[in-house]
Amino acid sequence: MSKMSKEMIHLLGNYGHIGFTFVAAIFIGMGGGIYLDQKVFDDRTTPWFTFIGLAFGIAAGFKSLFDIIKQQDKD
Amino acid sequence: MEHPILFISIILEKLGLPIPHGPVGHGLVEQLCAPYMTYTWFTMLFLVVVGKLTLGNLEMVPGKGQNFWEIVIGGMDNFFVENMGRDLADKLFPMIATFALYIAVANLIGLIPGFMSPTSSINTTLALTIIVWITHHIIGIRANGFAYVKHFLGPMPVLIPLMLPIELISNFARLLSLSIRLFGNIMAKETLLGILFMLAGAYFAPLPIMVLGVLVSLVQAMVFVLLTVVYFTQSNEHAH
Repeated sequence: MSKMSKEMIHLLGNYGHIGFTFVAAIFIGMGGGIYLDQKVFDDRTTPWFTFIGLAFGIAAGFKSLFDIIKQQDKD
Repeated sequence: MEHPILFISIILEKLGLPIPHGPVGHGLVEQLCAPYMTYTWFTMLFLVVVGKLTLGNLEMVPGKGQNFWEIVIGGMDNFFVENMGRDLADKLFPMIATFALYIAVANLIGLIPGFMSPTSSINTTLALTIIVWITHHIIGIRANGFAYVKHFLGPMPVLIPLMLPIELISNFARLLSLSIRLFGNIMAKETLLGILFMLAGAYFAPLPIMVLGVLVSLVQAMVFVLLTVVYFTQSNEHAH
């Protein structure tokens, strides 16, 4: 394998999943919030856990971006 | 609709086995005969038979077949050692190399008319991802013991209530993103090829997409393996 394509694969592996990881984190956070609201607390707390989960999901998305930058600095 | 002709399904149907008409059938036999299952077995059979044929007996001076496998396996071994270190690479080489070969062959097989990529079904990719996800936790627990929990607690004790959910969510996001990326890319390739075959198959319209398909298949297999390696390395090292 030539050096160029090796570097290309590394870049693809490190940065190709940025978008997907960000979106997946938000979906999982908000999904967890909705599950807590509707299934665990039977709609008594309706909007709140959804919003809290959404906030945590967005925070987790940004944290995964931060991790990717940190990992790149280390290499 | 995407797969007008699947020859294994046709053969099984002639043999009198039930072929599901939806993506997943009802009942055990019908589920076992679903296309992504039969083509998974076909891929496994292909890898075993080709490996056996080309590597029948190992020789000191390698022939054609042995040369090919030495390059493939040696290249993968170098790559893993570069990223994970000798110890971890030796321990996990069989698993990750099997994943790499299986995903690469499973992706490429869909380019041949009459075949389908097993990885274009979310069931296959999710199964692969769950194996990787559970393994990286096992590696972390074996390497760090109880201190593995520190991976999820953030930099300082005051921030634990804030960082714990964030770390857990981003850990579960790996499960989702790893499986859906492979599934999405391969499913898109398969669907696009199927539609182009139906619209203008006689005029070689799918050819450019097939060239791209070869690229996408290999790159996605490599990306899956690279991310697996990165996750294993991260869970193996000590928490900051």
